[in-house]
This record gives sequence, C-alpha cells and structure tokens, in this order.
Amino acid sequence: MKILQVDNIHKIYPSGTHALKGVSFDVKEGEFLVIIGLSGSGKSTLLRCINRLHEPTSGIIHFLDKDITHVKGKELRELKQKIGMVFQQFNLIKRRSVLTNVITGRLGRLGTFQSITENFSPELIEEAMEALRIVGIEEKAHIRADALSGGQQQRVAIARSLMQNPKLLLADEPVASLDPATSNSVMHYFEKINKEFGTTVICNLHFLSLVRKYASRVIALKAGEIIYEGLPSDIDEKWFKTIYGEEAEEVEIR
Amino acid sequence: MAHVDPHGVMAKKKEKEVLKAKIKAAFLDSFFVFYSILVVDRIIWSRFIMQIKDVPFSWGEIGIFALVSVIAGVAWSFSGTSLSARLFGLARPTKTAKLTFEIFGWFLFNITFIAGWIITKISIVDLFSDEGVTAAQRIFTSLFSPEMAIFDEALFAIIETIYIALIATLVSIPITLVVSFLSARNLMNDNRFTLFVYGTLRLLSNFVRSIEPLIWAIIFSVWIGIGPYAGMLALLIHTIASNAKLYSEAIESIEEGPVEAISATGANKLQVIWYAVIPQIILPFLSFTIYRWDINVRMATIIGMVGGGGIGTMLIQYQGLAQWHEVGLIVIMIALVVWVMDYISTKIRQAIY
Repeated sequence: MKILQVDNIHKIYPSGTHALKGVSFDVKEGEFLVIIGLSGSGKSTLLRCINRLHEPTSGIIHFLDKDITHVKGKELRELKQKIGMVFQQFNLIKRRSVLTNVITGRLGRLGTFQSITENFSPELIEEAMEALRIVGIEEKAHIRADALSGGQQQRVAIARSLMQNPKLLLADEPVASLDPATSNSVMHYFEKINKEFGTTVICNLHFLSLVRKYASRVIALKAGEIIYEGLPSDIDEKWFKTIYGEEAEEVEIR
Repeated sequence: MAHVDPHGVMAKKKEKEVLKAKIKAAFLDSFFVFYSILVVDRIIWSRFIMQIKDVPFSWGEIGIFALVSVIAGVAWSFSGTSLSARLFGLARPTKTAKLTFEIFGWFLFNITFIAGWIITKISIVDLFSDEGVTAAQRIFTSLFSPEMAIFDEALFAIIETIYIALIATLVSIPITLVVSFLSARNLMNDNRFTLFVYGTLRLLSNFVRSIEPLIWAIIFSVWIGIGPYAGMLALLIHTIASNAKLYSEAIESIEEGPVEAISATGANKLQVIWYAVIPQIILPFLSFTIYRWDINVRMATIIGMVGGGGIGTMLIQYQGLAQWHEVGLIVIMIALVVWVMDYISTKIRQAIY
C-alpha cells in the first residue's frame, strides 16, 4: 500500500533558489527509503515539503491518500502529528529534562493549557519512559538534555518522534554530526523502529556504506532532480560518480 | 506550473538593488555637499572668521544652497568618484576616486570638528578664571562636609526612590513580555495582520523610547500631579519600551532548530513558544530586567528633580536654596546606593549565567 505519493514537486524559495525541480516518487508502507545527494541537492527541502514545514511551490503530495500539499491550520497540525522528524542538530530543548523533551512529541494531542501548566498524566510519563526504553536510555530521563552526548541526544530525538506514534518517520541527515561508531548505533534504532513497528522511514544520508546497510530503496537527488531510483546494491562506481561528481571517492564507514 | 527562471529573477533583483544604491548615493552626496556649504558658510566663515554674533538667516539663501548642493551632489555621485559612490560600492576603481574619497572624508571630519568646537564655545580661559575656581572650591568643600542633620529625611527619600524603581521594573515585566512577543519578527511573520501588529508595536515602542524618562516625568507630573506615582509611571513606560526591544531581539536571535522540531510534532503556536522559545530566552530576560532595575534607580534620582518624588526632589530643593552641605549629603547617599545597586545587579547577573 502506498503511504506517500509525491507528484512533480517544485520548490522555489523567496530568495529565488529553485531547490526542487519536478520531483516525483512513491513510498510504500514499511519501506526504508534513503535519499542521497550532495549538500544543496534539495534533500532537506524535500523532507520539509513532505511534513509541510515548507509549502511546495507547485505539484501535489498525497499522504495516506489525502492531498496535503496546501493544508492549513488544524489540518496541518494533524498531518504533522502523524509524521515524526529527526534532525541533524537533534534540536532538543537544551535546558529541559530528557523526559520533558520526549513528552513534547505528544504536544499535538495535548490541550494548550495542559501542556503549558505541564500537568502530565502518569500514563503519559510512562509512555515517554517506554519510548526512552526503546532507544535504550531510560536511565537518563531526569538529566538535562544538553548534558548528553551527541548520539544520546539523537536517541532522545528519536524517542520524541516515537511519542507521535508516527505513520512516517523523516530523518534529515540524522548521523551527519556524529562519529562513525555512534552513527551506526543511531541508524540501528531507525532500523529497529522500521522492522519492529513497521514504521515507514525516509532518511537523508551521506555515507554509501550506511545506505547499503540500512536502505530498502534509494533515491538520488542532484540539483533538485531525481537522477537515480533503485536498490542500494545497484549503485555502482559509475552511478556513484554521476551522483557525487567525478572528483568523489567512496569513503567507508562501518 | 508557471515557468520560473531563477537566474532571470536574480539578475533583475541585482539590477534593482544597484539602482536603489545609486539613488541613495545621490541623496547622500547632495546632503554631504549641502552640509559642507552650510557649515563652512554659517559657522566657520560667519561666526568664527567674521565674528558675527547673530548670523542673518533667510530661507531663500538656504534654498539656493540646497539647489546648488543637489545639482553638484547628483553630478558628483553619477561621476562615480564621490564619497557615497564608494560607500555603496559603486565607485570606479580609479586613483581619482580613491583620492577624492580620502580628501573629502578628511574635509568633512575636520569641518565638523571645528564647527563643534566653535558651537560649544570651548574656552580654557573660562575653566581656570579666578572667580570660577573660587566658586567651585566653595561648592566642593561644602559637598565634602555633608550636613548630617537631614540624614533621616534623606534616608526615607532614597528608600522611596529605590521602591519607585523597583515597582516600575516589576510592573513592567508582564507587559514587556507580551509586547516583546508581539514585536518579534520571527513569531509575527505569519500573515498580514500579525505583521501589522508587529510594525505598529515597533513604531510605538521606538517613539516611546526616543523620549527620555525625564521628559516622561514632566508629562506625568502635569498629568497626575507631582510625586512618586508620576516618577514611577515615567520609568515604567520607558522601561517597557526599552526592554521590549531587548527582549524581542533576544527572541529573534534564538536557535531556529528547536522551534522547527516542536512545530514538526504538530504543536500549536503557544506550545511552540512555551517549549521552544521561552527556555532559550529566560536567562537573557532575567538579566536585562535586573540590569534595568539598576538603571531605574539611577534614573529615579534624576526624575525626582522634575517632580518624580524621592531623593531627586529633595536634592533639587536644597540645590535651589544653595544649601550645599545638605546637597553634599544627598549626593554622597545617591552615589553609595547607585554603587551598591550596580554591584548587586552585576553579581546576580553573573550568578545566573
């Protein structure tokens, strides 16, 4: 079953940058789709158009068979609730506890007054602890978020998105600020969520070795256009040079 | 999909910007020429060299100056060798352009300095004249032998001043919070209405801030009568306007990442502000507010002089009676309190960060 249909999406920023030039693809439920491409190729813009942090300039996006290209207000917030997102810079609230950070994943379904008074039910707190258990850092629940290492912060961010019970999980270069060993462990949690909960994952990545290990399908973007779509194992030397330019050398990261 | 050529868009934008810069440069150059003619003719030539006390003034003459300056300024500007052409990056890369820039730059600086010197009537002779020095000596000796009989009265007055400042600062906090959120661009760029609110509040607070608390105190002492209440209101309104600017700038410079992350969870605007904005600004806010209390104590003493109550009112009364020993005591007490406040506020602000 198709969970996402992206049809001929263009995105032109007010500055005049033409970031996406007619991108189309489908995503099936349960897939682990990885998007690769150089910095500035439009990967981040594409993800932000899917969960509508940005509004596409033209084209149509269907999510769960519903046109979400230009939804607004309450409908937009409901859409965002269904799509989790993990960022390169983790984007946690630094001064708050890990637990509070995880609970913010549920804000869309909490009343404004209840969330501002921070009057959270024991069930909600238990759910947040469970999310932390899934990413293996429940013992850090009451520590300030900025006291954690990069890899731990990213796991908290994953736990935060789990609180949304997302149908789709977006990850914008989730391991680009982490060292190789930590990268692998963080990617492992995405795989776990994908396999155990059947959550569809769309992830921007840089390293081909990680792509080959985790992706079920790959899309390559270059200058805002899709230039490759297929299995990770089919990306050979020639495709690699096309995607990353003649100068590129493949770097192994395990 | 309408066809859009990004390169064409960018080129057009660039062209427009160059034109804008050219117009600005022409205006500025005309102003420079006008300013130079006025300063040289009115101040340096008439008042200093010719020693005319009341320089005759006529709008006709000024008009001719203005006309000449605009013609000269625009011509100069479009020749690409002017001061502004260089400031806006439009100058031709020739030696003449560079030389004109240096010569005229120096010329402007020098005439401004000389005119300032003439207008301020700087005179070393006055500073060290015999009677002047004697009078100063008399005041200084009085100030340093303060009259202790009014100590109780002064103490109460200065406590009043501290409380005026404190209440003005405390009452300002909730109002400033609301105003600052509504005048932070990154929170208010949703639609035309919010941008209108943003613009109006910015304009209003710029206006309020540009009027000194001293003037506000005069206005309020006429409005509701002389006394501490007028002083407090004067401080309050100025504190709101000043801190709203500082607060909203703090809001505008927050990290965007958490805001993006929280809104990506489907949270509404208030939730985003509560979880992604407030944790980032709470410390700067506290710091600004404490510093502002410190400033308000100093200002409250000045405001008292125009009828804002507290120690300032007392000071101006004794100064009017030329009772310099009493003035001495008051000045020393103000200095002490200000010094202590400054010390405390610095310590608290250091402790927060």
